[in-house]
Amino acid sequence: MSQITVDRKLCDNHGQCAIAAPKVFSMNDEGVLEFEEIFDDALLDEVEEAIDVCPVQAIFVKD
Amino acid sequence: MSVETAPNQLNVPYLDISDPSFAMQSEELRNAREASWYAKTNYGIAVLRYEEVSKLLKSPKLIQGSAKWPAHNGVHGGLFFDWWTKNLLVLEGEDHHRIRRLLNPAFSPRLIKDLVPRFQALANELIDEFIDSGSCEFIGDFAEPYATRVLTILLGIPESEWPTIARLASTIGLALGVTFKQDLDKVDAAVAELYDYAEDLIKDRQANPGEDFVSRLVLASRDGDKLNDEELRNALVLLIFGGMDTTRNQLGLAMQSFMRNPEQWELLSARPELGAKAVEEVMRINPTVTWVTREAVEDFTYQGLEIAAGTTVHLFTQASGTDPLAFPNPELDLLGEHPAHYGFGGGVHHCLGHFVARADMSEALPLLAGRLGNPHLTGGDEWLPDSGNTGPIRLPIGFTKRI
Ligand code: HEM
Ligand code: HEM
Ligand code: SF4
Repeated sequence: MSQITVDRKLCDNHGQCAIAAPKVFSMNDEGVLEFEEIFDDALLDEVEEAIDVCPVQAIFVKD
Repeated sequence: MSVETAPNQLNVPYLDISDPSFAMQSEELRNAREASWYAKTNYGIAVLRYEEVSKLLKSPKLIQGSAKWPAHNGVHGGLFFDWWTKNLLVLEGEDHHRIRRLLNPAFSPRLIKDLVPRFQALANELIDEFIDSGSCEFIGDFAEPYATRVLTILLGIPESEWPTIARLASTIGLALGVTFKQDLDKVDAAVAELYDYAEDLIKDRQANPGEDFVSRLVLASRDGDKLNDEELRNALVLLIFGGMDTTRNQLGLAMQSFMRNPEQWELLSARPELGAKAVEEVMRINPTVTWVTREAVEDFTYQGLEIAAGTTVHLFTQASGTDPLAFPNPELDLLGEHPAHYGFGGGVHHCLGHFVARADMSEALPLLAGRLGNPHLTGGDEWLPDSGNTGPIRLPIGFTKRI
């Protein structure tokens, strides 16, 4: 299992992470980000892509 | 349109956004923004304040409004029409997300970093051409060749072919203008020519894949899914169409903003590491994309305003980026701490090329500041109107050579 955090002060709810890794990130009806902090390593590639595409670079891996 | 059912009808300002003299940076607009978070326009509503633009840009109740642009101009078929209706910018839902996922890896900020030395070399090469004369036409001599050659570098096309690419992209750009219908034949011919170009490029990289950007697009796959040849071609045309005029215009507007704020130009010259900040600040106060267009997919109420399905919503970027409610000191300030601007749009259609644009402009601006002292207008400048996409067409400037 791996763990991520999102810097909520930076996050601007663009939802690009939810396009890249829909199993970990999603946007609720209000357009606000929700995500799983802990996820299966099988999703690591997707999550790395989400980290890359976030326009404000708000997603970080937790060791 | 449902704007008619809004409460406080009388206090809602009205803006004629298709009047060629309509100005974003005007008393009229500032007064409207002070009076109300939105204005009525001759086409739907315009959202003027930061918080509301931020919220609505990402609202699931709104979709890309530009899908209807050709139809709105009486264009219902042809090559441009077909391409427009299938490109990422106007696709929605899973159709959009699938293409975006397949394009994303090529735009990784890590890969774009590798191109920075080439951006720097290009900027210096262009400046070398005119530096000794103490004057230049900033668009023709710098902004346009820079923006276009950055794309040829990205796409791995010989840089010498930039004039052809520039011509084709500008011709297709006529499709966004008010004379679209008259220009349709020219536009369609340019799309056909650019298609040929893109198809050759794709075939070449399919036969000889490398580490370059187009090879990455050709090889991109996810969950067993790949872009087919038509999708690849459409995407390449969108990158050329969406990446060139925007960057050219934004560089021209950056020069305008710095000429109005010479002490900030001096600061950038002394501290080139502020290049990235310079890009953010210029795009906040002087964005080339002056509004992003959205359309309501369902009836909904926002801040007491009933917005009916089908309503066009123009989200104003410059007005939101200088809104005193969000920016108590809205002036250009490379040392200021400001919330994010929406010059690259936002939400699911957030600009795909922003890492490229940010990287190339944040190299160009400090190099220019370091070499051109006291840049100033010398007369004869020509401008696009403020509606939609703006910027200088010609920008003759004088300066003192520093190095
Ligand atoms: C200063 C330069 C640029 C500016 C100001 C800019 C601005 C924008 C804006 C505002 C949007 C959103 C439009 C909307 O939501 O209606 C957008 C989308 C887009 N841009 Fe850019 N752009 C720039 C450079 C680039 C570059 C260099 C590329 C490609 C290499 C590019 C490719 C795209 C694409 C593909 C989209 C559509 C994304 C989607 O719908 O998912 N842009 N751009
Ligand atoms: C009376 C109605 C309208 C007028 C007079 C108008 C006028 C304009 C003008 C003058 C431009 C700038 C063209 C240029 O920079 O060359 C523009 C840009 C644009 N307009 Fe409109 N427009 C209208 C309605 C619409 C509607 C209904 C849509 C979409 C549903 C739309 C979508 C766009 C788009 C996509 C652009 C390009 C800029 C951008 O990226 O947002 N417009 N419009
Ligand atoms: S992509 Fe970045 S800014 Fe957008 S919702 Fe995800 S974390 Fe937030």
